[in-house]
Amino acid sequence: MIRLNNIFVKFGDFEALKDINIHVKEGEFFTFLGPSGCGKTTTLRTITGFIEPSGGTVLMKGNDITHVPIEKRNIGIVFQSYALFPTMTVYDNIAFGLKIKKLPKPEIDSKVREIASKVDLSSEQLEKAVSQLSGGQQQRVAIARALVTNPAIICMDEPLSNLDAKLRVQLRNELKRMQRDFGITAIYVTHDQEEALTLSDRIAVFNKGVIEQIGTPNDIYNFSKTEFVANFIGDINKLKPEISESLNLPKNQNHFIRLERIRVEREKNLGFEGVIESQEYYGLYIKYYIKVGEQILKVIEKNDGVNIYNPGENVSVIINPSDIMSYDITEG
Amino acid sequence: MKNNSLDAGFIAKIFGLALFLYLFLGFMVLPCLNTLTSIFTTKNASGNIDPFAVIKFFMAGTMPLFVWNSLKLAVCLVITVNIVGISIVLLTEYFDIKGANILRMGYMTTLIYSGVALVTGYQFLYDSNGMMTTWLSQIFPTMNKQWFSGFNAVLFTMTFACTSNHALFLRNAIRGIDYNTVEAARNLGASPFKVLFKVVMPTLLPTLFSLTVMTFITGLCAMSAPTLLGYNSINPEIVRLAGSSAADESFPQARAALLSVILAMFTVILLSVLNHYERKGHYLSVSKTKAKLVKQKIVNPAWNIFAHFYAYLLFVIYMTPVVMIILFSFQNYPAIRSKMLNFSDWTFVNYFGTQNYEYMTSRGRLRTRVGSISGVFSNSDAVGGIRLSFIMSAIAAALACVIVVLAVSYIFKHKNKARAIVTESCLLFPWLLPTILICYSFRIFFNREVWYVFGQNLYWRENVRFLIIMAYTVTKLPFALRMIKAAFYAIDDELEEAAKNLGASPVYTFLRVKLPIILPSVLAVFALNFNALFTEYDMGATFQSSYGKTYAMIIQNMTMEEGREGYNINASGRRCASTVFIMIVSGIILYLVYGVGARDLGERLEARKKWKRRWARLTGKRI
Repeated sequence: MIRLNNIFVKFGDFEALKDINIHVKEGEFFTFLGPSGCGKTTTLRTITGFIEPSGGTVLMKGNDITHVPIEKRNIGIVFQSYALFPTMTVYDNIAFGLKIKKLPKPEIDSKVREIASKVDLSSEQLEKAVSQLSGGQQQRVAIARALVTNPAIICMDEPLSNLDAKLRVQLRNELKRMQRDFGITAIYVTHDQEEALTLSDRIAVFNKGVIEQIGTPNDIYNFSKTEFVANFIGDINKLKPEISESLNLPKNQNHFIRLERIRVEREKNLGFEGVIESQEYYGLYIKYYIKVGEQILKVIEKNDGVNIYNPGENVSVIINPSDIMSYDITEG
Repeated sequence: MKNNSLDAGFIAKIFGLALFLYLFLGFMVLPCLNTLTSIFTTKNASGNIDPFAVIKFFMAGTMPLFVWNSLKLAVCLVITVNIVGISIVLLTEYFDIKGANILRMGYMTTLIYSGVALVTGYQFLYDSNGMMTTWLSQIFPTMNKQWFSGFNAVLFTMTFACTSNHALFLRNAIRGIDYNTVEAARNLGASPFKVLFKVVMPTLLPTLFSLTVMTFITGLCAMSAPTLLGYNSINPEIVRLAGSSAADESFPQARAALLSVILAMFTVILLSVLNHYERKGHYLSVSKTKAKLVKQKIVNPAWNIFAHFYAYLLFVIYMTPVVMIILFSFQNYPAIRSKMLNFSDWTFVNYFGTQNYEYMTSRGRLRTRVGSISGVFSNSDAVGGIRLSFIMSAIAAALACVIVVLAVSYIFKHKNKARAIVTESCLLFPWLLPTILICYSFRIFFNREVWYVFGQNLYWRENVRFLIIMAYTVTKLPFALRMIKAAFYAIDDELEEAAKNLGASPVYTFLRVKLPIILPSVLAVFALNFNALFTEYDMGATFQSSYGKTYAMIIQNMTMEEGREGYNINASGRRCASTVFIMIVSGIILYLVYGVGARDLGERLEARKKWKRRWARLTGKRI
């Protein structure tokens, strides 16, 4: 559907993107994930046409669109701020692109109403100003406006970042539902790993203008290809030599283990000896900080209401070497 | 096709640049430069050019007196305006004074009643024949009936004229105070007055500093009050000299130029100080959960009574001229002449229609002057002044908005580039120069045939109207720039990108997306500029032309013609009606700008719905 081949983007002397290669498949929900300034938005803007790459090509359905003007690319965009026109009603916002295409009024009307009903916007809401809508409703207007012109793909640039935590969870589920209902290819930009893992079919993890890994959420989380990805996605323990050596792990590598892969038992001598330093209570689970020798290990245990450990308690910490992710030590 | 549109764009750019340069150089730089050079190219008594002739004359003659008088007025004005301005803000926003809302309305009346209307209004009440002076002299027979003239009168009038704007800015500053800081100080043992002076006042200092500088400049550049109330300060002297000839006195034009340059130097220095101070930044509340200021009760009963007395005394001072002028505008000539309200006889003659005036001559004959009593809207001079001011103000206000909208659009397109900075600086240029310098320069420079205005003399006959429009436009550019630029900042970059993504051209995006967003601000700037220009006095007085008699000049003429000499018997009534008319126009404009204009689309749709519901209820129809 969309293919980026060897994309380079430079801002003056600064190389924002270095040799980016991505293939987004038809109907896929594809996410660009990474910290601020990693190049994910630059990549998205290269696809949408706001940035012209200094090297490489952007292909859509096999056609080179690298130098095609923004408005001719047939890409719908949902902006971070939604970019809804504040001086227009909801109806006029959705109809904006259709009016520019100079479609007949009855056709515009039917298209606007059709898309509005698909994104659960009522006729009454269509007559309102965008400032009179809630954050969730505004998001639906932004999606409707992006989809009403029947684009080949929809690009979303951190559309949930301005919302509160509860609404974010609610809206990301709606977003996924709408993308499936419309059957449209979606490219999504976020720095929120949880959002990326829950929404995406595949994820590209960016760091300093390069892609560290592309894969399914499971690949990214459980089989992180690089130390950066392992650290960036979820919480993780970096094992100190004291533990890694006792597990006979290679010395020329850094070794990591996810919190939920470590087991804790009251019974003695099952693994490493540890002392509970402190606990954080999350309801569904409890996070323990366990002192093992010189290292503090973070461990997550399901809250079953029975096996709850108290600070100062001695426990056995069991680490299965097959759960460890190891990466070569790189200079710097 | 693409080449054609590129060519068209290039031609438009070149045309725009040429027009901008023409206006900047032709109507800002060259006239002002001419004024500056005229100082140093004056011929002395022996007919030789002496660069220091004017300066020598300045040092030896009485001219420093005008500078000293202006400085004295500016310094005193800073003190009185700050005292009254701070008082009215504390009384209405900080202390718990009964009737604060009504007091606030009273204190703000000078927003709709300012300039020449206010000065003549005060004259109506306080001059030697004024109602208040007559009343006060009955109570205090030894009082000086001439107290309202010269420096005292100018200071008194300007103090109350300047405090509305002062209070408006200070009120915003005091409302920005985090009440938790007041509570914290009280909790730590500070007395209410300690809190006021150690916590509240320091946060107001940056705003107060800015207001002090602006008040100082206002005092320095005062025009209508010194002219009408008789005080020898710089501006009235410049206007006098500009109208004088070398036959009457030594190089009047060059002296006027020197005075206006001195004024400009003061303005530039003060604005530079202000700019430097503002760059250092203001005290910003660090609180993320700011608490709204709660009014403080004055616990001490004596202080509380004093504060209430002081608040209502100021209210009376503010309201008396307004109320009296409204009442007297509906009174007939004998009542106005005797300054005694006649509650049994109200009339509209000061507004509409004409009346004959009957009077007894010294020989005991009854004479009639046919139609000599005429209302403001039946008096050809007044209507002519209103019409001319209306048209010139509207054109100039619109022109300033159009120039600034296009320029700001260009500035934002080329943000942080040298050309954007240069464009902005050009538009801010008139801010550095006193209005009088610009107008004086226009009057002198264009009072001859100038090649780049098609060889016309723009000070000649009706041409002066064009000159006034240009002067109005130029002087309003900096204000328009500051306001409209702020409005452009409110446009999210993503809106433009969204429009582009949906296929809109730059022109379509500007007209359909950006312009509707900034339109309320543009209209507000237009309305405020129009409001200020409609009753503008300083520029009208500087141009002094019978072909460019603005409304303010007509009002001034009415004052001059008033019944003291008895030759224009109802000028007072017409002037009162004129002032009421100005109040109505200003009131409507301020309501439209800050009331209706401040609503967003949602609020407008709600208001429309409400009106529909009311209409349906009235007509019995269903909606």
